Amino acid sequence: MAGFKTIKFRLTLWYVVILGIILSSFSFFLYFTLSDSLYKGVDNKIKTMAEIVASSARNPLGAGPSISDLDRIMTERFGIRPLGRYIQILDESGRVGGRSTNLRNVQIPLSVQTLQAASKGKTTFETVQVTAKYPVRLVTMPITEDGRMAGVVQVGSSLEGVEDALQQLLLILLIAVPAALLFASAGGLFLANKVLRPVDEITQIARQIGSGDLSQRIRIKRVNDELGRLAATFNEMIAKLEESFHRVKRFTADVSHELKTPLTILRGEVEVGLKKKRALGEYQRILNSNLEETNRMSRIVDDLLTLSRADMGELTMEREEVELSSLAREVWGDLQILAREKGVQLQFMGDGVTKVEGDPLFLRQLILNLTENGLKYTPSGGAVELKVKGDRDEGVARICVSDTGVGIAQKDLKRVFDRFYRVDKARSRETGGTGLGLSISQWIVQAHEGQISVKSTVGKGSTFTVILPLKD
Amino acid sequence: MRILVVEDEKKVASFLKKGLEEEYYAVDCAYDGEEALYMVEANDYDLMILDIMLPKIDGLEVLKGVRDKELPLPVLMLTAKDSIEDVIKGLDAGGDDYLTKPFAFAELLARVRALLRRKEREPSGELQVADLVLDPVTHAVSRGGQEIELTAKEYALLEYLMRQVNRVVTRTMISEHVWDYHFDPMTNVIDVYVNHLRNKIDLDSSQKLIHTIRGVGYMLKG
Repeated sequence: MAGFKTIKFRLTLWYVVILGIILSSFSFFLYFTLSDSLYKGVDNKIKTMAEIVASSARNPLGAGPSISDLDRIMTERFGIRPLGRYIQILDESGRVGGRSTNLRNVQIPLSVQTLQAASKGKTTFETVQVTAKYPVRLVTMPITEDGRMAGVVQVGSSLEGVEDALQQLLLILLIAVPAALLFASAGGLFLANKVLRPVDEITQIARQIGSGDLSQRIRIKRVNDELGRLAATFNEMIAKLEESFHRVKRFTADVSHELKTPLTILRGEVEVGLKKKRALGEYQRILNSNLEETNRMSRIVDDLLTLSRADMGELTMEREEVELSSLAREVWGDLQILAREKGVQLQFMGDGVTKVEGDPLFLRQLILNLTENGLKYTPSGGAVELKVKGDRDEGVARICVSDTGVGIAQKDLKRVFDRFYRVDKARSRETGGTGLGLSISQWIVQAHEGQISVKSTVGKGSTFTVILPLKD
Repeated sequence: MRILVVEDEKKVASFLKKGLEEEYYAVDCAYDGEEALYMVEANDYDLMILDIMLPKIDGLEVLKGVRDKELPLPVLMLTAKDSIEDVIKGLDAGGDDYLTKPFAFAELLARVRALLRRKEREPSGELQVADLVLDPVTHAVSRGGQEIELTAKEYALLEYLMRQVNRVVTRTMISEHVWDYHFDPMTNVIDVYVNHLRNKIDLDSSQKLIHTIRGVGYMLKG
C-alpha cells in the first residue's frame, strides 16, 4: 500500500464523501418533513376540537360558557373522554369557566396578546410549557355570539408523542448514517482493491521488465474486461520490445565481433612487429596487411552507416526514370576485369523495356552487389549470368543473377538477408565481404516497392531474383 | 615448449606463431576444429591456444574432445565473445584461461608463461637446477652468477630439460617439445644442440648437469 495517494484510497474517499452528502441530505429532508407534518397534524386536531367545543359552548348551553362538566359533553359528542387533550373555556375577560378534568393541577396560560387577538376574532396557535417534561401545543379560539366575543376556548395537546418520535428518528439517523458510511468505505475499499489488483500486478511486472527481464508476462485471468485488454496489449508490447531488444543485442554482438577481428590483427601484428628491429620488407608486409584491415573496417562502418540511415529513414531516394538494362550493362562492363581475374565467365542479357522509377545510384549498387556476390562464390571455370527482362503484361521488370557456385543450404536460405549472416565465415572474410551486402540489397529493393528472393541448390549454384514495378 | 595455435583467421594465426617463436616456443597452427583434434592426438603439446568460433568443429567441441581423451593439456581460450556467459561456458568446458580479442600480445605471453608454470607446479617464475638459473620472462640464463649467452633453440632445449629435471628425456620427447612439426627425425640435430649446450653450461664447472643416458636420451641432474 503506497499510502493515501493511491487511486484505491481516493476512489473510496470520493465514494464515501458523495454517499455521505446524499445520506445527510436525505436525513435532513426526512427529519424536517416528518416534523412539519407531525406538528401540522397536532394543530389540525386541536383546531377541530376547539371548533366543536366552541360551537357546543354556544348552542345547547346557551348563555355563557359555564361548563363545569366538560367531560360529559365530550363523552356525549365523541363517545370518549378526550385523553391527553386539555380543554378549557374562559369568559371574555379571561376568567376560567370550565375545564377538562385532566387539568386539575395545571394552569394553562393565556397571554394578553392572545386574548386581544381572540377579541378580534383571530385564532392563535402557540407552544407553551405547562408541565415540566413536555411542551403543550395550544390553540386559543374565540367563541363569538352575534359578532361579539363571548369567551374563548383553549385546546391543548401534549407534544410528548411527536417529540418522542422525532427524537427517536434523530437517534436512528445519527447512528445509521455513520454506520452506513463506515460499511460503505470498507466495501468500497474492498471493491477498489479487487478491481485494481490486476493494476498492481501489471505495475510489478513492469518493474521487473524495467530491471531488464523482458521474458516476464502478465498472467491474464479475464480477457474481455478493460484490464484484461490492457494486460493483453501490454503483453503484446513487451513481446515486440523483447524481440527488437534481442535483435539489437544480436546485431551489436555481430558488429563488435566483425570489428574485433580486424582490430585483433592490427594490434597483434603491430605489437609483434615492434618487439624488435626488423628488415624493411617485414615492416612493409605489416603495413600492407594493416592497410587491408583498415580498408575492411572502413567498408564495414560505411555499410553499417548506410543501413542505420536506412533504418532511421534518413536516406532519401531519388525518383527518376532509370533504364535497368542499360544500368546492368554498365555494371557488367565494370565487373569484366574481376571476372577475368577469377576465371569466371560473366554474361549479360537485356530483354524488353525495363524503365523503372527509382534512384540510379542505389539501383546500380543493388545490381553490383548481387553480381559481385555471384562472382565471389563461383569457382574458376564457372559462369555468372546477369539477366534483365521487362514484362509488360505483369507490369514488372526482373533482374536475375544466376551463378554456378557453391550454392546455399536450405537452412541458410531464409537467413542470407540477415545482417552479418554468413553461410561460410572463413570464405566470406577471404573474399572481402562485410556480411552486409545482401541486407543492403534487400533494403534497396524494398525502398523501390519491389521483391527479392533466392533459390539455390548446394553444389550447383544460386539464383537471386529482383522484381521491380515498371514505370507506366 | 611446444604450442598449438588453433585459429581460423590466417593473419591472427600467423602473427601468433611469429610472436611466440620469437619467445623460443615451438609453434604449430591448425585452422579448423578437425585439424586441431588431429594434431593434438598426433603430437605432444605443452599448451594449446584455442579460438572458440571455428569452422567444421566448434572450439568448445574441440575442448571437450581434448578433455575426453584426458590429455593434460593447458588450454588458453581466445575469442571475440566476451560476455560473462561465454567466459563461464568456456572455462566450464575445460579451458584453463580466457583472453578476449583484441588482446595485448604481452598479456598473451604472460598468460602462456603462467599456464606452463602451473603445469609444472612451480611457485615462482624462475627455473633453477643447482646453481643454474633460467628466467622465462627475460630469457636470461646464468650459472653461478655467470651470465650465459644462448641461441633460441639452445634456450628452448635448456628450458625443456630444466622443466623435466631429474627425469630421463628421449630424443623423441625433445623433438616433440622443442621443435615444430617441420622437424626431421632422421637428423642428429638434437645431439648437436645438446653438445652446444654442454659446452656453454658444463664446461667451466666441476659439477656436470647434463648427462647422456646411453641408448635412451639425456637427463638434467640437479
